[in-house]
Amino acid sequence: MMKEYFDGIVGGIEERIKNDPENASPRMKYALEVSRLGARLYGGSDRVAWCGVLAPFDVLSAFGVASCYVEFVGASLAASGMAGPMLEASEHEGHSPDTCAYHRAVVGAAGKGLMPTPDFLIATSCPCTAGVTTMENLARHFKKELFVLHIPQENTDSNVRYLTGQLEDMVEFVAKQTGQSVDWGAIGKAVTLSNQTSEFLTEIYDLAASVPSPVRSRDLRDFGVVMPLISGTQAALDTAKVFRDELRARVESGEGGIEDERLRLLWIQNRIQFKNPLEKILEQEHKAVVVVDELNSVTWDPVDPDDPLPGVAKRMLSSPFAGRIDARCDHLKKLVRKYKVDGVVNPCHWGCRQGTGARGLFADTLRNMDIPVLNLEVDCVDARSFAEGQLKTRIGAFCEMLAERARPA
Amino acid sequence: MTPLKNRAIGFTCSYTPISLIEAAGFSPYRILPVGDSEDQAGQWMHDNVCPHVKRVLDRTLGGDLPENLAGVVIINSCDAMRRLADAWRRADPSSRVICIDLPIRSDERSVDFYAGQLRELTDWLGAISGNTPGESDVSSAMARFQVLAEHFGRLRGYLAAGILTGGAARLQDLYNRCATRPVEASIDELEKIVADESSRAKGVPVYLFGNVMPDAQAMSLFESCGARVVVEDLCTGSRLFKPLMENDDDSDVFKVLAESLLTGVGCARTIDAAPGATAGNVLARAKAAGAKGVIGHTVKFCDPYIARMPGIREFMREAEMPFLMLEGDCTLRSIGQHRTRIEAFLEMIG
Repeated sequence: MMKEYFDGIVGGIEERIKNDPENASPRMKYALEVSRLGARLYGGSDRVAWCGVLAPFDVLSAFGVASCYVEFVGASLAASGMAGPMLEASEHEGHSPDTCAYHRAVVGAAGKGLMPTPDFLIATSCPCTAGVTTMENLARHFKKELFVLHIPQENTDSNVRYLTGQLEDMVEFVAKQTGQSVDWGAIGKAVTLSNQTSEFLTEIYDLAASVPSPVRSRDLRDFGVVMPLISGTQAALDTAKVFRDELRARVESGEGGIEDERLRLLWIQNRIQFKNPLEKILEQEHKAVVVVDELNSVTWDPVDPDDPLPGVAKRMLSSPFAGRIDARCDHLKKLVRKYKVDGVVNPCHWGCRQGTGARGLFADTLRNMDIPVLNLEVDCVDARSFAEGQLKTRIGAFCEMLAERARPA
Repeated sequence: MTPLKNRAIGFTCSYTPISLIEAAGFSPYRILPVGDSEDQAGQWMHDNVCPHVKRVLDRTLGGDLPENLAGVVIINSCDAMRRLADAWRRADPSSRVICIDLPIRSDERSVDFYAGQLRELTDWLGAISGNTPGESDVSSAMARFQVLAEHFGRLRGYLAAGILTGGAARLQDLYNRCATRPVEASIDELEKIVADESSRAKGVPVYLFGNVMPDAQAMSLFESCGARVVVEDLCTGSRLFKPLMENDDDSDVFKVLAESLLTGVGCARTIDAAPGATAGNVLARAKAAGAKGVIGHTVKFCDPYIARMPGIREFMREAEMPFLMLEGDCTLRSIGQHRTRIEAFLEMIG
């Protein structure tokens, strides 16, 4: 089912690009590459690793392994409208509806035999506890080896050494699982491509901060959290370059993502993954654009290709999801200033303790900056509880309030 | 060291190295999710965060903590605990809060890392007390807690044999009291009880495991339903007072303490070497204790436990070990609502 879904997207986009190459948008190119990864995961001919969100996908790509964090599968199930039966299946097995639906959808899909059996699994303790337990459940289900990366809170020298040591163990683990020897040259090439991609990403995010912003709400949705999945590849570099070129051209011509941009928004954590009209309502009814997602940011330094693992460890530790909430709030403050946002949307994903659990702390931080926050009570994967009318009303009221504040005295 | 026992250090997790707190001259004080503090945690945390940490935060915001609390040690054992540390610091910026990292596994690298965290904690405690404990102070404190753990081990043996007066409720009450006062007083009391076991209890033997259930009356409720809890594995129960590893003169005391805390029966947040081993361990311990059934208890929104329960249920079904899962919110009321289910379960297996 998912194989057909990804194959369908890949085939459809390739056809559209072939027929009309001039109008191939960066988002189309990006969707193509991400879907190609999905097709590889489900294709049956590649080695597959199910992973945690902060796994070093560029290092894994150097082994030729199709690797992916399982939350991406949960999101894809939601986007394709197939999450509902998976969630029901997991609930039937006894999984509580109070847990994260990204994970529950994947567990349900695995139970229904709709998740490819991986060659191995790599869990990461960041961003969340639920992610680790989900990986353990999947390892038990598939009867495959699980490697766990413990990512400490602070980005200190001793923690970098600790995480580097774990990455060394992980590299040995992957080599053993794949039956390959460790090719440090290939890993060096992969991180070089990641470094080059990161340079484009930095430019992309800087361009998105322009006023008016050259992006529409959907252009860079979840971009910073999904791009790492294809990092370490030429495809990622090419995709980032296409985006950079397009946004640069729009900025140089003074073209905004939408006409007459009035309100600029920051979106915390992840977007709502199933089809919904909220972004359209924001743009068409309120001239409000999501100019930045929380993870659309390069928080790390280039990784040394000749000694990659310490740099990879630092990159992982630099995630806003690691560490104290104060560090994450400082990150949000920087984004608010850089992007000159008028307001912040926090989709309080039901079941997310690390993100939604910090709702009050985000609100407190942003209140002190005089930045209003709209807390949406949603489940970003489970469409069954989506209250469209209520959310539309709340968004309307929020945008009216923002517009009133933005109006010159 | 100069005793500072008039000052306490709060803690919230059974992975806390209470020996270090003791070694630094403080009395470890477990901030249990009990009491009638007003619900204020909601202003910092979403409704979907576990009631354990919210009730702890309620106690903090409501001023329901000992006045002599000099600081709080929080273990980064799960998202909820991490957010508790974040919210505590924000809600009360003047408080001393340290959040130390807890590895996911118990391999050598993890033990070394946790030993490093314990050294940092020791420095932090020393900065508050004005006198950082040395290795001999830590060894001596570990020895005292080892005595306490051995006494509890004997009491658990009495409980399993059905000869502990007051049963599981009394044991839970002892856990709570020993987690909130100086260790010497706890040793004194337990020594007397160990020497004075008595009546044979009745009821269907069950194995109880899970996370937070501090109210001793919850144990009484099980017993009033016809259960006899022969062994419990709860973070508010036996897990805090588990035996420590041997510490000889050549050992790095912090590594010994780290390994003691990371190994053995642990919380569901710690990943077993073999995925899914938790279920097998539960079954083995239940069978060893002669339990006729297993009761799993978790507080709502506790991801490590609620994610594992379906797998444990399946494993128990395959092993033909009766299993009952309960979900609560740290209150006796929430357990009381399950009375009919507990009674039905016991009737079935009795």
